[in-house]
Amino acid sequence: MAELTLTGLGKRFDSHVALADVTATFANGEFVALLGPSGCGKTTLLRLLAGFEAPTEGDIAVDGTLVASARTGKLVPPEDRNMGIVFQSYALWPHMSVARNVAYPLEVRGIPRAERQARVAAALEMTGLTDYADRAPAALSGGQRQRVALARSLVADPSAVLLDEPLANLDLSLRATMQEAFAAFHARTGATMVYVTHDQTEAMAMADRVAVMDKGRIRQFDTPEVLYSEPADAFVAGFVGDGAVVPVEPCGPAGDGSARVRLLGQELAARTRVGAPDRLCIRPEDITLGEEGALRAEVQQCTYLGGRFRLRLLVEGGLDLVAFSTARLRTGDRLGLTIGRPWGFAGEAAHG
Amino acid sequence: MSQSLARNLGGSRSGDWLLSALIGLAILLTLAPVVRLLIEGVTGPSGLTLQPVVDVMSRPTTMSALWHSIFTAGVGTVISMIIGGAFAFLVALTDVRAKAGLVFCLMIPMMIPPQITALAWTQVMGPSSVLLKTIGLAPPLGSPQPLHSPLGIAVLLGIQHTSIVFLTLRAGLRSIPPEAVEAARIAGARGLRLWWQVVLPLSVPSLAAGTAMAFVTALGNFGIPAMLGIPAGYSTLPTLIYQRLAGMGTSVLTEVAVLALLIGAVALTGVVLNRLFLRRRAYGLIGLANRPLEVSLRGLRLPVELVLWCVIFAILVLPLLALIATSLVPAYGVPLTWQTMSLGGWYEALFRQPVTARAFGNSFALATGAAVVLMAICLPLAWVMLRRPSRLTRAFDLLVDLPYALPGVVLAIACILLFINLPFTDLSLYGTVWIIFIAYIARFFTVMLRPVQSALAQLDPAMEEAAQSAGASLGKRLRTIILPLTAPAAAAGAILVFLTAFNELTVSALLWSSGTETLGVVIFNLEDSGETVMASAVSVAVVGVVIVLMGVIQLASRRLPKGVVPWQN
Repeated sequence: MAELTLTGLGKRFDSHVALADVTATFANGEFVALLGPSGCGKTTLLRLLAGFEAPTEGDIAVDGTLVASARTGKLVPPEDRNMGIVFQSYALWPHMSVARNVAYPLEVRGIPRAERQARVAAALEMTGLTDYADRAPAALSGGQRQRVALARSLVADPSAVLLDEPLANLDLSLRATMQEAFAAFHARTGATMVYVTHDQTEAMAMADRVAVMDKGRIRQFDTPEVLYSEPADAFVAGFVGDGAVVPVEPCGPAGDGSARVRLLGQELAARTRVGAPDRLCIRPEDITLGEEGALRAEVQQCTYLGGRFRLRLLVEGGLDLVAFSTARLRTGDRLGLTIGRPWGFAGEAAHG
Repeated sequence: MSQSLARNLGGSRSGDWLLSALIGLAILLTLAPVVRLLIEGVTGPSGLTLQPVVDVMSRPTTMSALWHSIFTAGVGTVISMIIGGAFAFLVALTDVRAKAGLVFCLMIPMMIPPQITALAWTQVMGPSSVLLKTIGLAPPLGSPQPLHSPLGIAVLLGIQHTSIVFLTLRAGLRSIPPEAVEAARIAGARGLRLWWQVVLPLSVPSLAAGTAMAFVTALGNFGIPAMLGIPAGYSTLPTLIYQRLAGMGTSVLTEVAVLALLIGAVALTGVVLNRLFLRRRAYGLIGLANRPLEVSLRGLRLPVELVLWCVIFAILVLPLLALIATSLVPAYGVPLTWQTMSLGGWYEALFRQPVTARAFGNSFALATGAAVVLMAICLPLAWVMLRRPSRLTRAFDLLVDLPYALPGVVLAIACILLFINLPFTDLSLYGTVWIIFIAYIARFFTVMLRPVQSALAQLDPAMEEAAQSAGASLGKRLRTIILPLTAPAAAAGAILVFLTAFNELTVSALLWSSGTETLGVVIFNLEDSGETVMASAVSVAVVGVVIVLMGVIQLASRRLPKGVVPWQN
């Protein structure tokens, strides 16, 4: 297992910029999720790591050794990179049995038969596939195929395992089970894993750190908790978790990582890393509903989420917010609300 | 930019070098003859000139053969369109039963060599028909053979190429989303109105494409006009070329080259007109046609089925019966009864005549050789064309159909010109079996390449990338992943090549010499010299081989990727 270092990495397809200026380090044994909408560059980044694409800018290093560099033109081909990969389509070879699929990377490396068999058996056991060793991939269920792909990606002890939306083809109930399986698997093997997904729940549930990507750039690379409570910008705030991003007037710092801001004439304290935040990310948890409250709002929509209700509120003065409620409310109901300690950040313009 | 980078990713560089050599070889094999032919048409002893073209075009025989070709191919195409079109609409859109059987039977005429079709049909009609004599319906001796006429040629051309229209149209009909028809039904359209206002307009592009293909194929057909037209003194362009070359030898090479160019030009005009027509008529069909349309015929179903099977009987079973009947009489013209029935013709043709045994051997070796060589070339070639596309591979992709689409005589003349004197040597391949072999490779390249290409294209690229990430080099990937996964398609392609080459006449009719006869040539020569019984016996044997091989593909078709078996979707 190894550490992956990306430095100023970029990829252009003719005039289209798929990836720009990505600098990040994926630590040894870390489970990293690349999260973003389709077309954000996450799959391109994965394919660059695997070696299927060559970077047009920047370098990729594995444990400090360059494997791809746009500057020198150095490019280690995929077959020499020692990466494991799991595709969305699983890409199992239909003409080989489960055991043969898993054994293939060892065969290619010329591992002697006895050792090969032992390692395949271990990989099958770890993925719960021992009883299926002689089956054809076509005779397996979706979840089982996924586990074969996982076993195959890990059997040769790769520097890192790359996973390209591996759960996208599975149905919802199976996804939860497989998420647990991946997390447990990561814990047991300590493999460096890079996991591409567009599903924030998946990324937040499994990854040590999540890189939120948009338009070819990493917008924020942090632990799931930090992404949720301290989003760096409006895109991350909107893409990760529920809630609303609203413009505010900064009224100056208040020390201790907080600042005063004015929202609809009300002054409130916001957590922040900048001196003068002009945007607030208001999560549903930041809102307390009641008869009283500084702000008055009307219920626009009430959706049952199981155990609680999600309310879309229109605050007097023209502001859309999202809040949770324990009781069902009707459209048009009026209520009061107070806002706790929301997260403040500087909008695009202030970013420079 | 991304392409040149992609090309760097392959890994083993020596493998890449080999692959480039391969594509060079493929281009040389398929295109060099055609280029050589073009040069011949426009050069004289003193450089560039159009004199040969002017000479040949001003001859009345040229113009009449041209008109005969266009007339017979045109009328034949109309017949193909009517029969093939009706079958396609009924089989693809309605609930008639035993569709697989109908499709298979309709395919057989296309796979049977045209000279055998012609022979079989002449055994159905005319004063010496064994079949008619046996049932006492033969016209009096001396009455003319009705098929030795322009219309006779056209009708048989039409039957021979019915399945081309049928297959293309059926594929088009299958791609019509059922929702388009269902929406029209909800709107209140029914029956013929539904067909006329919704289905037909949507299927015009595929009907036109199939018709154009049938026309071009009919234009290049040699077996039927040779068997029916030559006795009647009625020449089409392919038979004119054959007669000139057979009568005068290689001294008329320039003249026949111009004739070949002429027929090639007419064929290409057909293709281009079709493209122009389609450009204005292309609809983007939205929606997935995963559910085939199935309009219920209700009370009409049984009558429709009866009509369809009657047509199959008339165009397939009847001529084959006549052929079998003729092959079983002791002498041509004797009626077939239990007393006269004899296997003498079979014995004589298959065991006594050295030339037929030799022809079986030649055709078998040529067909097997072509299938094996093409399989070995096409697998890696298809991979290069798909995974490492370049300007060169794309150009090749466009042009590889040319030797197959051009009439066979055109390719044959082109090969004579190219190999009568091997460049830079005193050697000649003309008169050897190798010239036929190379012509077969060029002509049937696309028959092998397309199924392999479609199998490869359906292969998830991730299959290969997974192997690459697992550490497998290019050669290893081709061997352990690509080859096993495309092998079924390659095998089906190889059988198709074998079938087509085994039956081939048009190319070998101009390239054979004593000792290198092919089966097609032998049947043609036997009939030409009045040995109709023996010709029929050999033909029945060939048809048997064809039907067995087609049956093998049919049985295997379920395990093959989509688009590999030409008569299945």
